[in-house]
Amino acid sequence: MADSAVPKSDYGAGEELILAGVRKSYGPATVLDVEHLSLRSGEVVCLVGENGAGKSTMMGVIAGSVEPDTGTVSLGGRSLGGGTLAAQEMGVAMVSQEFPLVGELTVAENLLLGRRPSDRRWFVDRRAIYTAAQKMLERVGLDVETRRRVDSLSVAQRQMLEIAKAIGRSPRVLILDEPTSALGPQESEHLLQLAKEHAAGGSIVIFVGHRLNEVREVGDRIVVLRNGSVVADLAPEEATEHRLVQEMVGKELKGTEGRKAVDDAAPVFTARGLETYNFGPVDLEITPGQVVGVAGLMGSGRSTLLHLIMGSRERTGGRMTLGGEPYAPQNTGDAVRAGLGLVPEDRKTQALLLDSPIRWNITLSALRRISWRGVLLGRRTEKREAAELVRIANVKCQTPEQAARSLSGGNQQRMVFGRWIATQPRLLLLDEPTRGVDVGAKAEIYGLIEQERQKGMAIIVASSELEELLHICHRIVVLRHGRVAADVNRTDFSKERIMASAALGAGK
Amino acid sequence: MKTSGTDTAAVVLPSRSMKSAWSRALRRLGDSPEIGIIVALVMVFAVFTITNPLFASISDLQNPLGVDFAGFGILAVGESLTIITAGIDLSVGSLTAFFVVASAWLNVTAHLPMLLALLVTVAVGALWGLWHGWLITRLGVAPFVATLVTFIFAVGADEAIAPSPIPISSPSFLAISDSTVLGVPVAVIIFLVIAVAAWVFLERTYIGRELYAVGGNPEAARLAGIPVKRRLMLAYAVSGACAGVVGIIEASRLTSGTADSVSGWELIAIAAAVIGGVSLRGGQGKLIGVVAGAALLVVLRDGLVAINVNAYYQSMVVGLVLLAAIVIDRLRVQRLERASRRQVRPDRVEG
Repeated sequence: MADSAVPKSDYGAGEELILAGVRKSYGPATVLDVEHLSLRSGEVVCLVGENGAGKSTMMGVIAGSVEPDTGTVSLGGRSLGGGTLAAQEMGVAMVSQEFPLVGELTVAENLLLGRRPSDRRWFVDRRAIYTAAQKMLERVGLDVETRRRVDSLSVAQRQMLEIAKAIGRSPRVLILDEPTSALGPQESEHLLQLAKEHAAGGSIVIFVGHRLNEVREVGDRIVVLRNGSVVADLAPEEATEHRLVQEMVGKELKGTEGRKAVDDAAPVFTARGLETYNFGPVDLEITPGQVVGVAGLMGSGRSTLLHLIMGSRERTGGRMTLGGEPYAPQNTGDAVRAGLGLVPEDRKTQALLLDSPIRWNITLSALRRISWRGVLLGRRTEKREAAELVRIANVKCQTPEQAARSLSGGNQQRMVFGRWIATQPRLLLLDEPTRGVDVGAKAEIYGLIEQERQKGMAIIVASSELEELLHICHRIVVLRHGRVAADVNRTDFSKERIMASAALGAGK
Repeated sequence: MKTSGTDTAAVVLPSRSMKSAWSRALRRLGDSPEIGIIVALVMVFAVFTITNPLFASISDLQNPLGVDFAGFGILAVGESLTIITAGIDLSVGSLTAFFVVASAWLNVTAHLPMLLALLVTVAVGALWGLWHGWLITRLGVAPFVATLVTFIFAVGADEAIAPSPIPISSPSFLAISDSTVLGVPVAVIIFLVIAVAAWVFLERTYIGRELYAVGGNPEAARLAGIPVKRRLMLAYAVSGACAGVVGIIEASRLTSGTADSVSGWELIAIAAAVIGGVSLRGGQGKLIGVVAGAALLVVLRDGLVAINVNAYYQSMVVGLVLLAAIVIDRLRVQRLERASRRQVRPDRVEG
């Protein structure tokens, strides 16, 4: 504790990582507010919480990539602060979900990037690098050739490599951000073992996890975050799955909006045994005017499902029908012609022509329809069409001629939505429709969804925000490892139930 | 810029002050580089005419200048289609030299009727462009590399076909470069027809718009249902066909299929497109700018000759003009990006 007389240089037992009064806000939203949290060496501390509960921010604060507005973080009595480099020097190592590996270099070169395992000053001592690398790999039990290029490794191997790199620095604080999401069951098991061993050696291990059974297995303590605050700090015995889900979710929100489940009309779209690499088989159907949610953890295949339906990813199997007719898109053009639309996950890279006018963006998928004889694009026709779409999609702009870049995130998103209002698809696919937009804009996007649904459009929404799906969907399909784990009707909606289906039974 | 705070409000609340009118005019200029390039063209022309009163008369379209303008212009039109898709076509100069020889060979050595020979030339140009498109879309070869291969290959190919010049005797072939209709050389008419067709294509057809989308953001275009690969193939095919047309015009002017007749024209075509406001990052640019860019380059070149400027300086001046065009383009992009960063905050609050 604070009164202990542990010498600062001593990396040994009894050392503590303390977060005191740490707060972080982005604009009006407080994303992290931790009064006091102390983590002792020798412990594996699991951090759980929903998306947006503040886990990433907390990890960022400890690793030095996020600067808190107030409060301090200290390790063994010394303040941690001043960026990621300073934190690294103090002995904090973080394994993030994106691996900062250099694909063109070998395994060994990546492992020792920025370090020099020998006394040679100017030249690279290749032999020393490969021996040192070999040792690091053995430590985590990763069996790959040290001379292989990293871009030839699988995702799971890269994950282990990243962990080998972190552990190789003998960190006093090791942060693992959902390390098992890319791993198979055996590798996951091995990794949990590694985390325990590392902690037993006198370090602090922070394990961020979504799979509750893993969390219970590995953790000495389980800290639950909700809305940026620590709401529970449990011993593994206390942390039943039921309890954890309850703590994460908070008070169960009763369905405020009494949306009825739609009657059993004939489905407008069906899929049977839809498959691709590491995904499926998945069955799905949807009736006109229905909103179906797709929930699931990261990597469960939410986006994959949408892209398979849209024809933008290669199918390896399965049959689909649209409006009773067989539907087998070879590319997105086929899909659009058949009456589909997709609002992709990442606006900037997948949807927008940033430097082109709103008009170009909003008419993009409907160009052929509004062209005279399907060839000539009349200026006046297009302008009229664009103005109309801007109005329907409620894009706030001075003129449809201004560049898409000049719009806010919410407006850009509504513009992309407008692109599909223009084609009036029978089935509209939305991938994270409210990512990166503020609360007000969210409500407007929900309004658009409702508006189009009432006109009879069938809508599939994939989202990592469960609240959102509970709010707008008639049905929620829960994916786990690329398969349907549950299909829940609105009358049976419960956050616990969906979270449990998405998170439990990992790796099986 | 100066108007940072009022930048967006200016449109909504037009203020009558001189300052804002001036800054609005400046912004207009920044928003459409085409206007800037046309203004520059007129200014350069005026300067040359004042310096050398004979300039205006020697630069009328019947002069060889007109044929040059047609050649550069047609190549620049094809080139700009590929640049709009965020690609580049390095092959057009060397392909033009190849088609100078090939068109003469088809007509003279292979005894094809003139019209058929020319059609085959243009068709081979289009097919060659399709080959580039195939390399780029199916094998994922970078446009720079795919067209560089042709650039090198075609240099050798034209000498292989015609170790010595093939003289052209067909009068109608020769008429392409030396006859006029209503005082306008046939070559220039061909250029105008191509330019108008390209303008209609880019501005007034849905496929033209899709070409911009492919260049602006290929993934967004794909997910919007646009056949990205087919659009790319089309752009390279047109560029190749344009090289065929220019090859014919040059053969006609030289009155023979001579190897090594032109060199470095691909760079002039690229420069004309860039000076005319076609962004090398793709998705941006207008045909009118490309035509003005080609005209500016020809006027500069010819004007500098007319006022007896040494040939070395000519290249240097063209280089500087290109530099200015690129700098202006970058400043424009940066201003747009700054404007979008400013926009984010107020809107967040409003929701």
